[in-house]
Amino acid sequence: MRSAALGVGCILAIGSGAVIAEVASHATGPQTARQGAPPAAAVCQGCHGANGEGNPAAKIPRLAGQAADYLEKQLRDYAAGARSNEVMQNFAKPLSDADRGAVAAYFASLEAPYAKVEPTATDAQLARGHQLARQGSEAQRVQACNNCHGPDGSGVPHSAPYLAGQSAAYLAAELQWWRQDVRKNDAGKLMSSVAQRLTDQDVAAISAYYESLGAAQGTVSN
Amino acid sequence: MAQKLKEVDVVIIGVGMVGSIVAKELAAAGYKVVGLERGEARFTVPEFQGPAIHDELRFDIRKALMQDNTREPVTFRNHGSETALPVRRWESFLPGTGLGGSMVHWNGQTYRFQANDFELATRTRERYGKDFLDADVTVQDWGVTYAELEPYYDRFEYLLGTSGKAGNIKGTIQPGGDPHESPRSREYPTPPQKEHFQGAMFRKAAIGLGYHPFPQPSSNLSQPYTNPEGVKLNACVFCGFCERYACEHYAKSVPQTVILPVLLANPNFELHTGCQVQRINLDSTKKKATGVTYIDRAGREFEQPASLVITSSFALNNVRMLLLSGIGKPYSPASATGVVGRNYAYQTMSSVASFFDQDVFINPFMASGASGTLINDFAGDNFDHSGLGFIGGAFIGAVNTNGRPIQYHPVPPGTPAWGKGWKEAVVKHYNHTVMFSLHGSSVSTRQNYLDLDPTYRDAWGQPLLRMTFDFPQNDLKMAAYVTAKGVEIGKAMGAKQVAGAPRKGPYTTTVYQTTHNTGGTVMGNDPHTSVVNRYLQSWDVSNVFVIGASAYPQNASWNPTDTLGALTYWAIDALKNKYLKNPGHLVAA
Repeated sequence: MRSAALGVGCILAIGSGAVIAEVASHATGPQTARQGAPPAAAVCQGCHGANGEGNPAAKIPRLAGQAADYLEKQLRDYAAGARSNEVMQNFAKPLSDADRGAVAAYFASLEAPYAKVEPTATDAQLARGHQLARQGSEAQRVQACNNCHGPDGSGVPHSAPYLAGQSAAYLAAELQWWRQDVRKNDAGKLMSSVAQRLTDQDVAAISAYYESLGAAQGTVSN
Repeated sequence: MAQKLKEVDVVIIGVGMVGSIVAKELAAAGYKVVGLERGEARFTVPEFQGPAIHDELRFDIRKALMQDNTREPVTFRNHGSETALPVRRWESFLPGTGLGGSMVHWNGQTYRFQANDFELATRTRERYGKDFLDADVTVQDWGVTYAELEPYYDRFEYLLGTSGKAGNIKGTIQPGGDPHESPRSREYPTPPQKEHFQGAMFRKAAIGLGYHPFPQPSSNLSQPYTNPEGVKLNACVFCGFCERYACEHYAKSVPQTVILPVLLANPNFELHTGCQVQRINLDSTKKKATGVTYIDRAGREFEQPASLVITSSFALNNVRMLLLSGIGKPYSPASATGVVGRNYAYQTMSSVASFFDQDVFINPFMASGASGTLINDFAGDNFDHSGLGFIGGAFIGAVNTNGRPIQYHPVPPGTPAWGKGWKEAVVKHYNHTVMFSLHGSSVSTRQNYLDLDPTYRDAWGQPLLRMTFDFPQNDLKMAAYVTAKGVEIGKAMGAKQVAGAPRKGPYTTTVYQTTHNTGGTVMGNDPHTSVVNRYLQSWDVSNVFVIGASAYPQNASWNPTDTLGALTYWAIDALKNKYLKNPGHLVAA
């Protein structure tokens, strides 16, 4: 699963290498979303979409409206290797702290329609996802995802990213990485503690459920 | 008429922390154990999940996790000359109910008492002379020593996974820990929780004054942990909803997260919830218990015969159970005779509020119930009391547990109690104030005690427990002394204004203080001054064990739970290795 995601990313990374170098050398200090897209955002938009809507099929996450401090931390962690992904490391490393802040603030400010996804999950899967999201599982000693990720996975600023409307393929891949301790850039190993108690079926169900919440909100216009 | 059930080996009254641990050990040893719990069964999922578990109105104000005092209150008076009235709304102390007991809503503060505490009467006489104590003070030795309890403290802390830093391992002082602590055999199971900003401010100021700050030992865990029972816990997320709430993250050590999964999987154990035990039944000699009588949710009465009865309820309810059952002689303050209900003690809580400028951001909401920093320099007998006129002390710490908006609103003295002025002050100070807790000891006295109320009865027609309590002069003097020390620390932190609030009498049940009610079935080596022997076995009825903070002859400067966990394992050892092999009195009267 992981190698597939990297494969897609690698092609894009090779294609954009020159762009990164250019962006890095033209970095002009802190910019806010209000001033429009910071130069460094252009390279992100290449994969994550002009409005940060993501590319579900390629497991590329949606960034639009995600909490700025979460996005900034991920960029920092990619750059430092605390979140492991060669493609993103290549993009994040050349950015200055100010660039990372500006890019994060920019995508946090965006609204984007939810990508149209052909629903493949069964009703039973969505029901299981709903149960894990809102209630958890005593038998597995897994608490409700929404405890930290907010009502209906809408996110809690300064604390946990939104999950609602995020690509199921991306969420499932990340959960597997938390589970395998490949991703471990959170506090207190919280995500790996939870993910390691989920079954493969649970991972598929919870990912499909949160993706479906975006569709339920319909398209959001800018 | 009561329906008589099949006899079992052990019946346990109250399935909280103590009941769960005792039941687990005895069921694992092959005994048939029935646990009777007054409240409901409840688990992390689904009962403790968000967002409902963070409902301040329901849990803070309406006390949803507490003993139902529309059916079973206690009555209270300050002095024997007054008429006690029922406490219809819990405030001062908050006894829990339901599976997991009061521990479900604890803060996770996991301190040991010091060696001195267990021999308080002897050590006080040795150090300060025999006439040092006020005439009304009835403190006494526990009949068990710290050295004897140390392995059991260790076992309990490893069950919980407690996060902390040792200060003294086998006599060697450890940097970063509490140098005053009595020796422990090894380091805490997990490292301390992260220090919050106010803790760092406190630490710096305390070091500057020559004190010895250390991280609060916390059973809201700093990292994932698998305990010796094989049960896994998660790391705490610092949400600030510990005390009065249950934890939704499997991060706070409570029966549900440390032992119930193992207990409930054992077919030797049966849990019955919604069962209100009316009394422990005795045979015609009154020297042997035959079991218990209880009433279930539907109002049906049952008799559960058992060879061994363990009462492991909240401290106050242990006392009441013995009084209702006619086990042990009730205490009479007039003659100072009798033992059941004697030496009721509490905890003498003071506070210091330090108000800072608007550019100092405290963020009090980022906390766990035990993520603070504190000193023990003025706790217990860690300082010279000569000429002070009191014994005991308090830990002083920036140990604030939350910034919950309905309950937490520190304002300087002189602020209006309501209206525009109050609202403005709350807004101004909410994020710029550090609250110290001064967690003080409590001596037992001749006049403070528990008995059955002559007038008021519970929903089942049984007399309520009556509490007669006011703060002893000893403890008021102690509170004034330690509060002055706390104020000095607040000033050293650079606060603009520091307000000390030493605890003052009279005691009132209408203001929250702490749920550390102790005594009433105290342990000891003399049956004239104790209800149970050093193994927590009734002096009068040898097949009844009374395990709870009701066994404390007086209360020390720290939260009582760790010591109760140690006593529980200590008693279990005596049960398994002595009593159950050869039932009878473990100590000759």
